[in-house]
Amino acid sequence: MNVQTPTKVMPDAQTVTAVKHWTDTLFSFRVSRPQSLRFRSGEFVMIGLLKNDGKPLLRAYSIASPSWDEELEFYSIKVPDGPLTSRLQKIIPGDEIILRPKPVGTLVLDALLPGKRLWMIATGTGIAPFASLLRDPETWENYDQVIVAHTCRTKKELAYGSEIVEALPKDPLIGELVGNKLLYYPTTTRETSDIQGRISDHIRDGRVFQTLGIPEWTVEEDRVMICGNLALNKDIMGLCGNYGLCEGANSEPKHFVVEKAFID
Amino acid sequence: MTYVVTDNCIACKYTDCVDVCPVDCFYEGENMLVIHPDECIDCGVCEPECPADAIRPDTEPDMEKWVTFNQKYAERWPVLLSSKEPLDSAEELDGTDGKLETHFSEKPAEEAA
Repeated sequence: MNVQTPTKVMPDAQTVTAVKHWTDTLFSFRVSRPQSLRFRSGEFVMIGLLKNDGKPLLRAYSIASPSWDEELEFYSIKVPDGPLTSRLQKIIPGDEIILRPKPVGTLVLDALLPGKRLWMIATGTGIAPFASLLRDPETWENYDQVIVAHTCRTKKELAYGSEIVEALPKDPLIGELVGNKLLYYPTTTRETSDIQGRISDHIRDGRVFQTLGIPEWTVEEDRVMICGNLALNKDIMGLCGNYGLCEGANSEPKHFVVEKAFID
Repeated sequence: MTYVVTDNCIACKYTDCVDVCPVDCFYEGENMLVIHPDECIDCGVCEPECPADAIRPDTEPDMEKWVTFNQKYAERWPVLLSSKEPLDSAEELDGTDGKLETHFSEKPAEEAA
């Protein structure tokens, strides 16, 4: 018999160009981008390292850089006994990682119907796909207002996101597009800060709408992207449902989308 | 957990799911696809892409038999890496009840030359 299973793509190596450690548990890094790799801002790819047995150990990572960037950026937690991140956190410029060149995902502008306001709701490293979308001109062309709601345990954990958000109005490429469309709502759950508690509670009791001076969600005007831990995703999906928003997909754009591949 | 392909894929085999799978875990029979439960990373991207609504998370009720079913054929059929034309019968048989009994083929897909 001559039945052959098509060979799977062999490890695709890319070179690490920069690494930044934000806290004991968070780091971001940049790698070379395969010339042929096209992706839509908000999508994820499989990246990883070779195990001792020579097999690849891969996890889904949202691309944090915008689609026009020459390199690819990722934002990761460090789990001391995590199979991948225990080793990945030790990479330095010049090292190679595996990057499978098949970007996919539902956290894309294409999966949403046109609207007035785009809400990006994240916990922890769930800010990564939004770091990509926020630096994409299309996001700002498509919406009148973009609301970034990021919840972390501590203020330090908000730093990666706040640095990107704060740089946007001054960005040479999209600064002018951003103008005064950007609203930022960072909250902490385990440290005193200006805004405390879970974002879901702030939506439920209306605080976020009052503070930002914008209306509550409507099917006509509001679009929501969710990328966080399982509890947050469920919570926000429930709230979306209460407001009559429906979940969209690439094949059928609607009012909100959720990243299910996110693991914190 | 894993996502699984259920009976409404049978005799339709649209294959839209294959293009969005980040880990290429779809395996192709003569007239159905299955997901390899050991390779699926639960990203959920394929579920809404299926025109026949045949993909389900195994967290839904009564999915154990489909996990076993997907595992069994994923180990026997060849991997499919990119989408292709649906079967001629796709539109006509999409939504037909009991296709597992009446239409399912255990044969692997024929390899492209």
